[in-house]
Amino acid sequence: MREIKLKNIKKVFDGEPILEGINLTIPSGEFFALLGPSGSGKTTLLRLIAGFEQADEGAIFLGSKNITDVPINKRRVNTVFQNYALFPHLNVFDNVAYGLKIKNVKKETIEQKVIRILKTVHLEKHIYKSIDQLSGGQQQRVALARAIVNEPDVLLLDEPLAALDLKLREKMLVELIDLQDELKTTFVYVTHDQFEALTVADRMAIMNADGEIEQVGTPKEIYEFPASSFVASFVGSTNLLKGTIRQEGARNQIEIEDLGLFDLHIPVDKPWAKDGVQVLMSIRPEKFEVSKTELAGFSNHLVGTVDSIVYHGRSTQYHISLPNETVIKVFEQNEEHFPQEEIDYDDKVNIYWQKENVVLLET
Amino acid sequence: MIPALLWQILFLYLPLVFIIFVSFLKDIDYLVVGNLSLQHYTDLLKPIYLKIWGRSLSLAFFTSTLCLAIAYPVAYFLVFRIKRMRNLLLFLLVLPFWANFLVLVYAWFFVLEQGGILNSFLLNLGIISEPLRILNTQFAVYLVMLFCFLPFMVMPIYSSMEKINKSIFEASFDLGANRWQTLTRIIMPLSSSGIRTGFFLVFIPAFGEFVVPLLLGGGKTMYVGSLISFLFLETKSIEWGAAFTCVSGIILIVAVFALNKLLKTIFGKERV
Repeated sequence: MREIKLKNIKKVFDGEPILEGINLTIPSGEFFALLGPSGSGKTTLLRLIAGFEQADEGAIFLGSKNITDVPINKRRVNTVFQNYALFPHLNVFDNVAYGLKIKNVKKETIEQKVIRILKTVHLEKHIYKSIDQLSGGQQQRVALARAIVNEPDVLLLDEPLAALDLKLREKMLVELIDLQDELKTTFVYVTHDQFEALTVADRMAIMNADGEIEQVGTPKEIYEFPASSFVASFVGSTNLLKGTIRQEGARNQIEIEDLGLFDLHIPVDKPWAKDGVQVLMSIRPEKFEVSKTELAGFSNHLVGTVDSIVYHGRSTQYHISLPNETVIKVFEQNEEHFPQEEIDYDDKVNIYWQKENVVLLET
Repeated sequence: MIPALLWQILFLYLPLVFIIFVSFLKDIDYLVVGNLSLQHYTDLLKPIYLKIWGRSLSLAFFTSTLCLAIAYPVAYFLVFRIKRMRNLLLFLLVLPFWANFLVLVYAWFFVLEQGGILNSFLLNLGIISEPLRILNTQFAVYLVMLFCFLPFMVMPIYSSMEKINKSIFEASFDLGANRWQTLTRIIMPLSSSGIRTGFFLVFIPAFGEFVVPLLLGGGKTMYVGSLISFLFLETKSIEWGAAFTCVSGIILIVAVFALNKLLKTIFGKERV
């Protein structure tokens, strides 16, 4: 079990850079997610680690060993493919045993290991079935078993759940977390689905459409303290309001055009946030409190008109237009069967938030 | 459905039944049941006929085996190694077959004859001092058979290889296999239906081939096809020809079944 280190990776396809200046360390034993929109090069990055692609610049280390020029079949890295890539002419057992047979492992050992791993992924009833007799979820498990039976240093997963339905996906996510916990293998999980990434990852890297890493952190850090407006709006949804910082003595405020002055908390790690600087204020929809009556204890307050209401079951989403014509998004938990107040279309509502729940971003 | 069935009955099954019936007649001039006999079959047990079957079987077997030996690497390179110009190369491969088969064979005739292109080319280069006798030899027959049947082998293998999902190879490498292991454990079994299709597309017509041996082999050595045409067209001994045809057909069927089994054990068989 060793860490992966990517140093200054660059990859160009047809003269267009897909990845540029990628520096990333994935510690051993971590469940790491690569999250990004399609075209962000996250799959390419995974394929570089696996060895399917060669980097144009930079180096890849597995532990202390430089594996940049090590061929695919000599890397102690295994991949779970998006379309599973199972061998259609082999049954479940032979698919899983493939890697071990290639390594000339003893027959009894192969049998032992394969059966044990198939039990781990709950396929013990399907050992001798052919691949096309299995459901999508079962095929997914075969692909997983086929990779982990080789006890790789790193397991790469390329959008492994993309083809499954929501319920099964949620179930498999939990199983993946349990499996990683048990094996302690480094998992690198590529996805464009933020829900999957936030669920499984110990830490994650967010990639933008230019093939750069925008932020690396725990799911909570990424969600609560996004480092850029891209991260803020790509992971979860957010409201971005542009304003100018106004400092008067110890009091920090932000002036938003046609809305007025609002109290602002400036954290110590943002020294650039000074008087007169234009900033973006990111507020998550659930950080707002909306009411038709007046509430006490909030540092900031606005008034708006309800534009639209979308009922999601566990929460309701409101679009509320502000006096300066911008529209903000607000989530309210549906905590009660019979809410104290019904908010309806075109209602005038009070919008509250705490200044600490705001993330300041550079424009 | 019905027209196709009628067509089959009229032009395939009826003639077949007729051939089988005729083969049991003593004399075609008296198309009566009382005239039945096994005479033509017992006549066929002579070594000369066994030799002809042996010769045709070996021509068919070696043509298809050599075709396979050349076509498999060709298909492999077309599918896996060549990225650009693949369609152009495929086009060039089948281009000669836009010409009529007979024209093709005649073209080879002019290439291989004593004063032909090949000989004058080699003479001019000084590689040989007097023209080689290639025409009217077994070598010429095998060479041209190989050339004529090659595309029938390449195409099915190419298409069965091309259908294999590329990520399956990546998976094989990912699991530690090298190129050779991937070829034998993954590519061969997954293209084995293409191999068998190609093999029999060559083997079956090659077994009955008579144009190439006639024109390029000098027509002195008899093959199954040549004897059948000889019996039917030259000596007009139709009932005899019919008996020979029937036995040849049975030999072919048995050979195909046996070879099919052999190829399945060599190249593996697909479960799907």
